Amino acid sequence: MAKPLLTLDSGTTCSSWNYCGVRLAAGSADGTLSIFDFRDPASSSSLRSTFKSRIREGNIVKIVWLPPENGDAVACIFADGILSLWEEFAEDSHPLQWKMCKSFGGSSSKVLDVQFGISSTSLKMVVAYSDGHVRVYELLNPLELNNWQLQAEFQNVIDSVSTFGKAACFSASISWNPQKGGSQDSSFIIGYNSNTSELNSSKVWEFDQAHQRWLPVAELALPEDKGDQVYGVAWAPNIGRPYETIAVATHKGLAIWHLGLNPEHDGRLPVERIALLSGHEGEVWQMEWDMSGMTLATTGRDGTVRLWQSNLNGAWHQQAAIQPTS
Amino acid sequence: MPGGDGALVPVSNENRGSVVVYPLHHGLNPPIARLAISWSRGNSLRVSVFRPPSEGEAGGKVVEVNLSNGDSEISDAQRRRIAYGSVSPFALLQSRRSSFSSLSKVPMTPSLYHLDWCEHVIEYSKDISSLLGGPKLPPSPIIEDPKAIFKKGEEPTYLKAAWEMMEIFYADKQSQAWLPERLVDWLADYDSLFSSTQATIHSKLVDFQKDIVNIQVIEDDSRYWEVISSALAVGWLDVVVKMLRLHGSYQLDQLSYRETENGLIEAVAVLISKMPRLRPESASGKLGECFKSKPDFNKAWEKWRAQITKLDCSAFWIHCDNLRTREGLKNMLQIMLGNIESLCMATCHWIELYISHFLYIRPFTMGIESMYSLAQKCIQSKPVSSAHRLTGLMIGILEENTEVVLAECSREYGPWMVAHAVELLTAGSEQAEILLYEERYNLGGISIGELHRLIYAQVLSSHALTWQIAPIYLTSCMKQGMSLLEILLYRQSVQHNELLLKNIELCRLYGLDHISSSIMKVAGVYHWKHGRKGSGIYWLQQAQDANRLHIIAQQLFDSVGKSISDESFKQWEGVIELLGSESKTAGGLEFLRKYRDFKKFLQQVPGGKSTEAARRAVDSLILLMKNPSTPQRFWLPLLYDSLKLLNWQDCPLLNVCETNLLLNKVQELSLARVRPDFKESSLPPEALSCVRLALATNLGRAILDE
Repeated sequence: MAKPLLTLDSGTTCSSWNYCGVRLAAGSADGTLSIFDFRDPASSSSLRSTFKSRIREGNIVKIVWLPPENGDAVACIFADGILSLWEEFAEDSHPLQWKMCKSFGGSSSKVLDVQFGISSTSLKMVVAYSDGHVRVYELLNPLELNNWQLQAEFQNVIDSVSTFGKAACFSASISWNPQKGGSQDSSFIIGYNSNTSELNSSKVWEFDQAHQRWLPVAELALPEDKGDQVYGVAWAPNIGRPYETIAVATHKGLAIWHLGLNPEHDGRLPVERIALLSGHEGEVWQMEWDMSGMTLATTGRDGTVRLWQSNLNGAWHQQAAIQPTS
Repeated sequence: MPGGDGALVPVSNENRGSVVVYPLHHGLNPPIARLAISWSRGNSLRVSVFRPPSEGEAGGKVVEVNLSNGDSEISDAQRRRIAYGSVSPFALLQSRRSSFSSLSKVPMTPSLYHLDWCEHVIEYSKDISSLLGGPKLPPSPIIEDPKAIFKKGEEPTYLKAAWEMMEIFYADKQSQAWLPERLVDWLADYDSLFSSTQATIHSKLVDFQKDIVNIQVIEDDSRYWEVISSALAVGWLDVVVKMLRLHGSYQLDQLSYRETENGLIEAVAVLISKMPRLRPESASGKLGECFKSKPDFNKAWEKWRAQITKLDCSAFWIHCDNLRTREGLKNMLQIMLGNIESLCMATCHWIELYISHFLYIRPFTMGIESMYSLAQKCIQSKPVSSAHRLTGLMIGILEENTEVVLAECSREYGPWMVAHAVELLTAGSEQAEILLYEERYNLGGISIGELHRLIYAQVLSSHALTWQIAPIYLTSCMKQGMSLLEILLYRQSVQHNELLLKNIELCRLYGLDHISSSIMKVAGVYHWKHGRKGSGIYWLQQAQDANRLHIIAQQLFDSVGKSISDESFKQWEGVIELLGSESKTAGGLEFLRKYRDFKKFLQQVPGGKSTEAARRAVDSLILLMKNPSTPQRFWLPLLYDSLKLLNWQDCPLLNVCETNLLLNKVQELSLARVRPDFKESSLPPEALSCVRLALATNLGRAILDE
């Protein structure tokens, strides 16, 4: 049943839970970052504020927690396209504090989205910029979040020869393959909402270990839908299915894709659109898979949370909707 | 929440047009600017609701929605009690299954194998069933109220009723021969559950019981006869006989002039208490004569019916002048003779009519197909306005449609029921076994049975008090359980040591070394970053994270590489102590131990007095300088700290060979300084020349000494 956890201050625009759901980071329109912690994580009783500070001028539009292997740290994206990394830290005998580690982006190219993925060796950060460029950074020292090396830069196109100089992108969505460790190369999917149709369709990028480069291995769009602006992508955790499941939201609806695990002769992964679902009228804001990858939760401009599942025959449908009311 | 649909379980045969919309009350004034969602563990979803900023208003709310609260009948505490209680029967059955499957390779007659397995399943079923009882009702008074028609045990629950129904049909193979009789008992226990939607015999009895004290002449009350016939129709024989004996003609002052009437009543009562039943034995205190074998029963049945017919045609009826008694008793005889109209009149719910068929019309076991068509007939003659939680399940069972049974279980009783009932459904039914254990591509390569266990494990994971038992169910899922367990364990907080240790113990138990190493890595970084350097290093060592430890070692070198008088000495001394002696995995940290020893000795050499202490310090210094793991940038600080040893007043502390070693190191340092990546230490610029001079002096004195 529904249990209220917290009341947020006026002006709060976004929030994000950490990996184990005991810390909540919230961002405000005035650039305030707040951190809330459960008093007693066992009983998940009530949240208390442990940090609140105006970290920068401007509106925080998105917060992403870094993987816990790199400490308690968040990436905040501001409306003006600045990405700044903040970390909780205690010097020897001083109390805990949050400090800024690094910032990215600027006036020419704004940061639209950021997501972190753990490869076997290091932490990787994918940043989507408003000029249509995707940059992959690698953390050189796992204990210091200020030392990032640019590993790759590319545009979200299958044919790498063509580049699009004057792309204007409004939003982007990145989702890493949630696979932990293992032999699999790290991969992620990215889709754009831009004025350049070639950039838009969501593509799966995989790191080619042998040649140390990122390659597009799949495109999740039907030929006639390739220019569609992508609102969001979400890669489902795979607990042993013989295929990956990925959700892609465009104005045409919510598509569920299956991605094969073994490449075909041309190096591409086989893809199949399993379902195209409608429910949210208009833009989809967010898509989240549960930990088994069996239920997808989405929110959108219609102000409703929708839950999607597959039935025993593999047919996807909307299972329920949650309508916030006062 | 969506649990009204059974905790979000995929249901195959659902055909609902519109999606159920659940309201989420957040208490904010409209408008709502944006929503954010995040899955917590299992099936809890956290929803953040944001308002546009405005004066004096809250900016938003965070609400946790648990999607798995299916059954409102059972309280949360009771649900957890059931969850914990069912772990050991479930685990026992799983281990028996695995030993059975290894046994089945040994040639064995299939029927024997089958029988053995069924015994395990029925034991499991009884164990589970005993958990499902409702709250105990207050104990009945010691002095029995002569007018109390009922005895009450425990409050019946739908869950238990449903479980027992499945036990009767699927698991209890030994009672298959007298299945209708088991249904009679079942209805006697659970008839009250049907009262929620319409009147039942139970509700009529309860109502009558309430009024009984106010009735003067009971046999003149039409309800008396009505209730008696109803109870008789569903075979509650002891209630019937007890009520008959409340008849006025039994009263001492009336016995004399109502002899015939009383005789007839007694005759009916005796017939009722002698009713032949096809069952091994009745529960203690229950009336009726039990027959185990069908021929014996048939013989007794024919005889009994003949007695009823004889009584029905008896001349005594003419002498019974109480019309109500005569009609009431006659009607009872019709019921016993299986008069369909009388049965229909006496029963309320179709299921009661159904049970009365087994008792009086077709008292012989019948095939399940004819049981199904009989149920259809009963529903036609007593149609129900709304669906009932138990009848849907019953129809599914009678239809022999495993999918419907699963769907009903899931919709009405939630994931616990489905995960545990699969064992009953598959007991002895090859068809159900194929259906439930066949791997399906649509489900990601798992079977329906495994899917339902995963779903139940997710529900368990949602709550802080039950996630610890989720691994039992996950590890019974061959294909995908372990991966989900890994995710579950990884997503536990490392902040609290108790939880962390529990988590690591679970990893060890299930052989998930890579997960425990991830967890320990997370814990190590957490403590390190939060100022608890000792714990941080400890957990990183446990995780064998050479990469991070190496970096930490470098940081420690930086902080200890300063001069001896540095205040930080105490701080890092403790950390080094923690590292222990077996620091193979600790990167260059073993050097720090030697360095600590050297610094300690050096501190014990105050004012250049004790030559012995000074010699120990020199030995330690030589050891350090000889050791290849001593970083080069430490050489100069080490030597500079040792100046007073090099310039020892009483005698040269280093021999020629040792001095030459140190001089070589100084030479190496001078060369290294030219290289671009050389890091200048924080020592005074003349440090190197001071050291060189001291060494040269020492060399001279040592040569003279030798």
